[in-house]
Amino acid sequence: MTAVAAMPPRGDDVSDVLRRLAIVFAEFEARLAQTPLIRKLTHGRFTLEDYRAFLSGLRQQVMDGALWMSRAASNIDEEHLELRSRLMRHAVAEHRDFRLLEADYVATGGPLSEIQGAEKNIGSEALSAWMFHEASRPNPFGLLGAMWIIEGLGQIKALEWGRAAQQRLELADEAVRFLVYHGENDAAHIAEFEAMLGLVLPDTAIARRIVRTAEVTARLYVLQIEEIAP
Amino acid sequence: MTLLRDAYITGAGAFLPGAPISNDRIEDHIGRIHGRCSLLGRRALRWNGVRTRHYALDAAGRATDSNAGMCAKAVRAALDDAGLGHADLDYLAAATTQGDYLVPGHGVTVHGELGGGPIEVASFQSVCGSALMAAKAAWLNVRAGEHDVAVACAGEFSSRWFQPGFYEGTDLVDDKGRLAAEADFLRFTLSDGAGAIVVEPAPRPSGLSLRIEHIDVVSLAGAFEPCMWAGASRDDRCDAARGWSQAGPVAAHAAGSIALMQDFDLLKRVIRAWVGVYLKKVDEGRIVPDEVDWLLCHYSAQSLRDELMSLLDKTAGAIPPEKWFSNLDKVGNVGSASIWVMLDAFLKSGRLQPGQKVLCVVPESGRALAGFMMLEAV
Repeated sequence: MTAVAAMPPRGDDVSDVLRRLAIVFAEFEARLAQTPLIRKLTHGRFTLEDYRAFLSGLRQQVMDGALWMSRAASNIDEEHLELRSRLMRHAVAEHRDFRLLEADYVATGGPLSEIQGAEKNIGSEALSAWMFHEASRPNPFGLLGAMWIIEGLGQIKALEWGRAAQQRLELADEAVRFLVYHGENDAAHIAEFEAMLGLVLPDTAIARRIVRTAEVTARLYVLQIEEIAP
Repeated sequence: MTLLRDAYITGAGAFLPGAPISNDRIEDHIGRIHGRCSLLGRRALRWNGVRTRHYALDAAGRATDSNAGMCAKAVRAALDDAGLGHADLDYLAAATTQGDYLVPGHGVTVHGELGGGPIEVASFQSVCGSALMAAKAAWLNVRAGEHDVAVACAGEFSSRWFQPGFYEGTDLVDDKGRLAAEADFLRFTLSDGAGAIVVEPAPRPSGLSLRIEHIDVVSLAGAFEPCMWAGASRDDRCDAARGWSQAGPVAAHAAGSIALMQDFDLLKRVIRAWVGVYLKKVDEGRIVPDEVDWLLCHYSAQSLRDELMSLLDKTAGAIPPEKWFSNLDKVGNVGSASIWVMLDAFLKSGRLQPGQKVLCVVPESGRALAGFMMLEAV
């Protein structure tokens, strides 16, 4: 080949990491679309039981989300107080979200005890264990990669899924609040995340860890969705 | 072992049928479903930004040309631009979304229109990306020393597929006579024409040529279902075994399986996937945005929503607006032909300087494919 690839970018700037995270997310999104549950949703074969199983499956991870974020914050040293503050605010903002999921579940006619008593599926177990493991390390900056995946889902996929489910199952607005409430993706979301990355980058090892954590989180999230069965 | 040769684009040509047609005259040419104006057309035009386009259907709906005929005219124009004649042609790679016939292929049909002695031909059928599939074949044939004068052409006669007969009496039209948005949108998006490039193992004796650095065509079809399609109903499109020919032409028509359709929900995902493929090329160093002097993208920046433009910006993947060259708003979206129609206009605009790099980007929503071609002016 005469077309020799040019020198790759240095690789640990905020823009380099954001680029790699965007690539991981694009591949994650394509993979999610292939899971049986999401295929049913996009192929008009989604049932009310599927929707309830979906909410139950999400609840575990949503409940854990604020907890691992808090744990991560508690492991951030005083050199990075700003990042610690942001994670704590994030955790506070989200730690009651699972209640909204439960209310949606009840609005579909499902008993509260059922969603509250549901067991984590195999994917949720793996995802949760991975998150708490990462959050327990000193200065767990890799978790920014996990946040990119999970926040990205909220920003980009939740509304799409919520609307599709509502349309397909003719659900009341009260039954899709969790998915629809996360709202549409906007440029402000990227800017906010960019600022967080700026607090720990450039640093080659951290850059690598953030991308790797995003990859593992994405794979385990897909596993969680794969394991959802009514 | 024979060494691979460099290969150059030494000529480009385009053929756009008839006069430019303004937005308010579109339906004079493609017709009105049950005689009524489309309600969706204006919205489609706002989104795609096209102001004028060309049709090979006259105002009475009569064909003034064929897909292969338009391609042959573009091939002649490209050969002429390169200072070559018809007799010099060794290899013809022809691309289209939908050829004039179901059988035989587009390549031989274009050769038939072109006339002349024996040559090697190849047909490439996909959607917009078929242009770069054909270009890659032309480039590699010259590169490998198989041929010295290769032409890649692409053409579309989309308007033919937009005539009312494709929709009336089908499930695509509701009780109130309104055409489904998935079908109507494309009627105001695509139009007709053809384009071609000549590829040779040496630059042209005078004027600028474009050395082809690489052509990458990336299909994500393994993870995406059809997003733009014809030949299946909306519900059956994910199962190739239930394609139109299984039901037969009459039943397929009634089911709305013959018309060209677009899934908008899926398109949003496909657009994000394209951006992902592009960013991967940037990350691998295959595309270095700072080194690109001109971007010819078969997709308008205005169609990418703000958050994607912002993402490109923040990931050091963006190419600034002053480097974009496009004539989509004037000539319309001519599917596979667009990139050559655009390149032809760009080369004739006099903007290109020796040593500059030109990146051509051709995304295809058909089943999530993206093509990239990097060129250097010599």
